[in-house]
Amino acid sequence: MNVAIFEEKEFLGGQLIKQTHKFFGSKDESAGIRGIYIAKNLINEIEKTENIDLYLNSMVMGYYEDGVITALVNNKMEKFIPKKVIIATGAFEKSIPFENDDLPGVFGAGAVQTLMNVYGILPGKDVLMIGSGNIGLIVSYQLAQARANVKGIVEISDHIGGYLVHASKVRRLGIPIYTQHTIVKALGKNKVEGAIIENIQTHEKKEISCDVICLATGLMPLSDILNQINCEMKYIPELGGFVPIRDENLKTTVENVFVAGDVAGIEEATAAMLEGELTGLYAAYEITGKFDKRINTIKERLKDLRKTSSKVVNGLKKLNLYEDFIVEPHESLGDLHKTGIPEEEKIENLLSSKKERFAILECFQKIPCNPCVSSCPTNAIKMDGLNEIPKLDYDKCIGCGNCVAVCPGLAIFVIDKKKESVILPYEFYPLPEKGEFVEILDREGNLLERNQVLSIRKMKDKTNLIEVKVSKENLKHSRHIRVVR
Amino acid sequence: MDDEKIIVCRCEDITLKEIRDLIKEGFTTVEEIKRVSRAGMGPCQGKTCGPIIAREISRITGKPIEEVYKPHNRPPFGGIFFKEIVGETDEK
Ligand code: FES
Repeated sequence: MNVAIFEEKEFLGGQLIKQTHKFFGSKDESAGIRGIYIAKNLINEIEKTENIDLYLNSMVMGYYEDGVITALVNNKMEKFIPKKVIIATGAFEKSIPFENDDLPGVFGAGAVQTLMNVYGILPGKDVLMIGSGNIGLIVSYQLAQARANVKGIVEISDHIGGYLVHASKVRRLGIPIYTQHTIVKALGKNKVEGAIIENIQTHEKKEISCDVICLATGLMPLSDILNQINCEMKYIPELGGFVPIRDENLKTTVENVFVAGDVAGIEEATAAMLEGELTGLYAAYEITGKFDKRINTIKERLKDLRKTSSKVVNGLKKLNLYEDFIVEPHESLGDLHKTGIPEEEKIENLLSSKKERFAILECFQKIPCNPCVSSCPTNAIKMDGLNEIPKLDYDKCIGCGNCVAVCPGLAIFVIDKKKESVILPYEFYPLPEKGEFVEILDREGNLLERNQVLSIRKMKDKTNLIEVKVSKENLKHSRHIRVVR
Repeated sequence: MDDEKIIVCRCEDITLKEIRDLIKEGFTTVEEIKRVSRAGMGPCQGKTCGPIIAREISRITGKPIEEVYKPHNRPPFGGIFFKEIVGETDEK
C-alpha cells in the first residue's frame, strides 16, 4: 500500500516538536518520553519507510466529489486520487476578547512555543499567562526554563484546568495561579506594558506589569476540509467545538474519509497518537482485510487512557460512542484544585514511615501515567491500573531516586531524615556544583533557607537529580532549588 | 470594558462594539454578520473571530451556538497563484 503525507510546513511533527516536557500515559506507549523525542522517533520511522511519499511545504487546497485532492506542491497545483483519506489537521487556538487585545505582545501559546522551542527566541521578559489548562501550565514552565519571568497564570474557572502535577511544578517556581480571574485589558501604547485582571466574583482589579500576554484559552478542531466536503458535524463543547460525526473506527459520514487527533476533538497528545494508529490501520483494513487484532488492542488502550477523562468521554457519548463506558469518579482534592499545592494532611500521610530514607509520591490526582512503577529496582511502587494512584511500599523502598527522575509530573522526591537531605528533580540551567550553596524553595517558591548541594546525578533525559542538605524542619517542605551566582 | 477597544476580528479590524450593534440591528448569525461586516473574511477565514461572534450572538439572543454558527469552507484553503488556476506553465 502506498501512503502520501501532506504537510503545510517544511517539517513534520506538528505540535509534538515543541513539547519539551515528558508525556504521561502508559509506559507501553510513550510515557516518560519528551514530546520532542517522540516526534523524532516517529519522523525517523516515516523517513525510513519506503512506501510513504512525503509532501512537505504542501498545502491541501481542496477535496472534490470525484475523489480528487488538490495540493500546492512546490507552488504547483497537483492532483491526487487516493482510495482513503485520513484528516489529521489538528487544532486552532481559541482567542478571547479583551480591551486592546490587538497590541503587539499578545501571543497565542502556540506562537510562544514555536518562537521559543523551534526557533530559540524568547518572546519577552515578563509574561502573563491566560489559561491554566495543560498548555498554559506547560508553556509557563517552559518559559521559566528559558528564564522568562512568568508573572502569573490567570484562570477564569474556580479550579485549575490542567493536571495538578503540572500546576505544582509551576507553583514551586513561585508562579501564582489566579483562579476565578479573567483578563479585561491590556495596557500599553504601542506594545504590551501590562495587563489588568479582574476577579469575576468580587470584580476586584489587579494590575500586572508584563511585556507578553500569552493566551492559552483552549483549542478548537481545525476542520476546514471536513466542512468543505460536507462531513456531518456536531457542536460538542467538551471536544472543543464542531467535531465530525464518526464511528468507533474514526470513519466519518463521508465515504472513505477518516479523522484522527485534535480535528476529531481536543484531547491529550497521547490519545491523538493512538487514534492516528487506529484510523490508519482501519483504513488499511478496509482495503486489505488485515490488522483487525491490532485495531482492537488499540481501542482497548484508548479506553484505558480515557478512564479518568470525564470531559472527553462525555463528549464522545454525545456522538453515541463509549455509551456504556463509565468514567471513574474523581476524588475532590480540596484546595489542591485551586492552588496546585497539596493539603498538609495529604503530605503528612506520606511522611508517616519510620524509615530514614524513602520516596515521597506527591501524586494525588488520577491521571493515566505509570513510568514510576517500572523504574523501581525493588518493585516498591504498585499501581492497580493505569489511572490509579501509585502506592509505595516503604519497607521495600531504598530511596534510590530512580522514580524521581522518571516521573513526568516531577511529583516524586526522596527525603533522608538522618542525613537531613532531599533529592529533587531539576530541569533548569545552570546546574549547581557539588558543595555549592543554593536557595531552597518550598511548594510556593518561597525561600526556606540556603544550604549545600550534596550530589548531582546528571540524567540522559535531562531531569537531573539534585540532593541538597536541608535542615530538619524544612525536610518536608523543600521542593525546588534556585542557583544564585 | 470598553467594547470599542476590543478587536474581535483581528484580520479585518472589527470591534466588539460593531458586532454588538449588528446583532442589535438583527443580524443574528455568524454568516449574516460576515456578509455585512467582513468579519470572518480575513486570512484566517473566521477561525479566530467566528467562535467569539457566535458566543456573543448566543449570549444576546439566547439561541444555542449551533443555531447561529455553521462554519463553511470552500477551496482553495490557501493563497494560490493565478497561473495555477488558468493553467499557465511558463513563469513569464
Ligand atoms: S479574525 Fe476574523 S477573519 Fe481572521
